[in-house]
Amino acid sequence: MPVLFPYMRQILSILPLLTFLLLLIYIAWNVPNFLSLSTLSLILVQASPILILCLGLSAVVIVGGEDIVSGGIDLSLPATAVFAAGTMAYVLSRLEGSLFLAFLAGLIAALGIGALNAILVSGIGLTPLLATLATFVATVGFADFVTDNRRINVNHPFIIGLRDGTIFGVPWSLFGALLIATLISFLIHATPWGRHLQAVGGGRDAAKLARIKIRPKVIGAFMIAAACAFITAFYVLARGSGYSPGVQDTLLVEMVLATFLGATFSPRRVVTVWGAALGAVLVAAMDLGFKSMGVNIFWTGLIKGSLILFVVSLSAVSRQRG
Amino acid sequence: MYIIARYGFIILIASFVVVFSITNPVFVQPGNLLNILEGAAILLIVALAMTLIVTAGGIDLSVGVALDFGAALAVVAMVHFAAPWPIAILAGILGGGLVGLLNAGLIVGLRVSPFLATLGTFFIGSSIQRIFTGGGGPISFRRMPDEFRNLAVGDVFGIPMEVVIATVLALIYFFGLERSIHGKRLHAIGIQRAAAENAGLSVNRLLILIFIIAAMTAALGGLIAAANIRMFTPLSGFSYLLDAIAAVFIGAALSPVGRPNVPGTVIAVLFLTIIANGLNLAGLTFATKDALSGAILVMALALAVMQRNWLKSLQNQMKGSQDAQ
Repeated sequence: MPVLFPYMRQILSILPLLTFLLLLIYIAWNVPNFLSLSTLSLILVQASPILILCLGLSAVVIVGGEDIVSGGIDLSLPATAVFAAGTMAYVLSRLEGSLFLAFLAGLIAALGIGALNAILVSGIGLTPLLATLATFVATVGFADFVTDNRRINVNHPFIIGLRDGTIFGVPWSLFGALLIATLISFLIHATPWGRHLQAVGGGRDAAKLARIKIRPKVIGAFMIAAACAFITAFYVLARGSGYSPGVQDTLLVEMVLATFLGATFSPRRVVTVWGAALGAVLVAAMDLGFKSMGVNIFWTGLIKGSLILFVVSLSAVSRQRG
Repeated sequence: MYIIARYGFIILIASFVVVFSITNPVFVQPGNLLNILEGAAILLIVALAMTLIVTAGGIDLSVGVALDFGAALAVVAMVHFAAPWPIAILAGILGGGLVGLLNAGLIVGLRVSPFLATLGTFFIGSSIQRIFTGGGGPISFRRMPDEFRNLAVGDVFGIPMEVVIATVLALIYFFGLERSIHGKRLHAIGIQRAAAENAGLSVNRLLILIFIIAAMTAALGGLIAAANIRMFTPLSGFSYLLDAIAAVFIGAALSPVGRPNVPGTVIAVLFLTIIANGLNLAGLTFATKDALSGAILVMALALAVMQRNWLKSLQNQMKGSQDAQ
């Protein structure tokens, strides 16, 4: 086999990304102006909330290890974002509080859920999948409780600014997303703390032998993730011009999809911060592309699902060869 | 001490029952107790399917889709093809089996992780339902044959049919998983797959089989749901998914060894249904009920796991004192 196909491994390893590029080329071929700057900006703006959630999720996956059932995952993030958004909308519109007050309330709400996850996983010893699935359900309940399960309009200038505002023609929201991505990528991929985080995920026993304290890393990852969910909350409010119940389900699916799709792009097939970000952008590009091509919205889910399975199987096959 | 550590969760359920009965006498009336059992039936069936998969170390996010496919194919067979009811039931169960077959192909054939594979199946399955129903409109069948209706509304000696079906299934699963060699094999795969492979188990064949069986079981739940409301409601299976996963893991935490097990799943399903029923009767608003049941779910899970850890440390102490003597 190696003699017959000398470049097989290399080709297989870039196939997932290649699939996406081909698809995007096909879309660009069929949709005029798809390759314009304004479309690009639209894609990035669309991708921002998912992208920031993915950054948080990647921190938890990196510290917990790749295995989804026994390793690290935080399914509660979308609910946390929605809960924080609901809390802020409640403070801003129902209580007519200041932005600072809303900020504080939202931050406390989000970090509270993060702390709850950390306690369940690190303190009591539940598997992250199970713990965060339960907190997802509970947090959606809390959000319903705070907002009475109704829509709350928000027209605070800051939220409107996040929706419409631009600096030199570049949307605010993009600057925000880029800033967070750089910050988290620096924290995880360039600081000693981040390397320890990766070490814990790579091999917990080895990390323990190297005298890395496991618990603070796990707690830290969940808190970073919750902070990302808090920032996503602003994007959720900006996109919907307020709070609407039920956003969390789509966010959940897109977040998991983008993060693990991102892993198939990395050469070692592991979840990385930039991989997750790229995953989020590509999924948004695909969505917008299908929409502009006039693909029936019911079919989009089918195409998306098949594409994910295709890409993930490619990656699984190439992992076996490697 | 030991008794509390071993049976703490059952004591917790009992205390909830006591609180609910004191606050609302309707709760303990036979009619309502029967309601609870009926309400638990479909969730139990889905949770049993999930128990099977989790025992072998996997997870199945597409049980809801299998449930929907079961309901859809049975109803479509009767409405559009005027199929007699046994054929409709067969069509439904085989339709659910297709979902399992797709999962098995992805997981065993292409070695995709069960989480991602079943997530993909969930996506595709949901999408297919939207396409065929034009966005999610229900397919109703008012003149459903009585025999089919009886899956949900019939009874055996006064016990509702769905409760009978769920109980029989629970017994089959119990003997299959806890008392047979196949069950032992599945546990072996779930605990250490590589070791099971080395021991000569045909892991792949077993995995293919259980994903199909689990999907067919969920489809049976879908048949009951469809018979109950005389229609197929697209995308309704999803609502069972989270509860089923929670039930399996609460049940696993209840066992001394922390493995998924059928009695544990049954207890956890009853617990979840009792909470839902009690909160319903308490006359709370939807939002409050939602927040409360979520908080109770988190606490129940935490308690179940804490109880197991406590039990383990008690057992170690006892062992320690025996060794000292």
